[in-house]
Amino acid sequence: MKPTDTGEGAYRVARIRERLAGDDIAELGVRVEERGGAVLLTGTVSSPEQRDEILRAVQDEVGADTPVRSDLVVASTAAPDVHEELP
Amino acid sequence: MIRIAAVGDIHLGEDGRGRLRPAFETLPDCADVFLLAGDLTRHGTVSEAEVVAAEVAGLPVPVVGVLGNHDYHSDQEEEIAAVLGDAGVTVLEGDSTVLDIDGTKVGVAGTKGFCGGYAGRSAGEFGEPLMKEFVRYTRRCATGLRRSLENLAADGSDVRIALTHFSPVPDTLAGEPSEIYPFLGSYLLAEAVDAGGADLAVHGHAHLGVEHGMTDGGVRVRNVAQPVIGRAFAVYDLQVPERTRPGGGPMDLEKPGSRRT
Repeated sequence: MKPTDTGEGAYRVARIRERLAGDDIAELGVRVEERGGAVLLTGTVSSPEQRDEILRAVQDEVGADTPVRSDLVVASTAAPDVHEELP
Repeated sequence: MIRIAAVGDIHLGEDGRGRLRPAFETLPDCADVFLLAGDLTRHGTVSEAEVVAAEVAGLPVPVVGVLGNHDYHSDQEEEIAAVLGDAGVTVLEGDSTVLDIDGTKVGVAGTKGFCGGYAGRSAGEFGEPLMKEFVRYTRRCATGLRRSLENLAADGSDVRIALTHFSPVPDTLAGEPSEIYPFLGSYLLAEAVDAGGADLAVHGHAHLGVEHGMTDGGVRVRNVAQPVIGRAFAVYDLQVPERTRPGGGPMDLEKPGSRRT
């Protein structure tokens, strides 16, 4: 990936975000950044399936030549083990 | 003391059936009421709402919720509210409900809310019709929240909770890009929380934000978006406040904190 002076990199990030927000995936909570020639995805998603779908869509959007790095976390479905006291 | 469990932004798709039910079944052991802070579905469809309904149906604690922007995405918000209602969820939008929990009257006032930004950096009701309607819509949500809280006070609720999807304060947005704060909530909601005399404000929406915040009037705010709390729900053990006057009317904005002893 070689972002140009015309701002292609920024437009690409916007296009990825639009793709993720589209009807298929409907994901607005993932941060998309360009980092070291790759696209970096961070945030928490609701399921492993959602994470995998996001990764497939982003790779499809940027093409096979651009690495997609994922630091996406799947939200825990465990019950809490602590309460917060609000006196 | 009232034990308040809450979560927002569970974003259940049609493949989400059963994902949260095991955790929700522990609620009777740890909570007196369960609040849902919107974005319960992913695409806002009735079929997804049926998945959400199955997750919470038949729980032996009262469930009170508001919808979020995802739940409006397919223009089926009324049907979604009906599906959740059939499963026993009290869905609020500009109104309130009162629960009797072992003799303590717990009032919950709710609205989805909307955006516009925070004091000094907010959208104004000016110019194009679309822009004016944007701000007016938020104002209508906030007015509904304030009136509902005032009604709870007038009816003598011992505990009053404001439940929204969008955030009333910027505190709980820390971690989100500051440029998008205006799309994550509005100070008008906080103004309603303070004027209406809430004891706790609970919201979702800001996945990258933080859990803790406070309004200018001193009301604690909790962002319970599931990605933020990192669990199926959070639980807050809220001390029942002692009111300074019978009925515990809304606080006087000129004297912040004056409603507490």
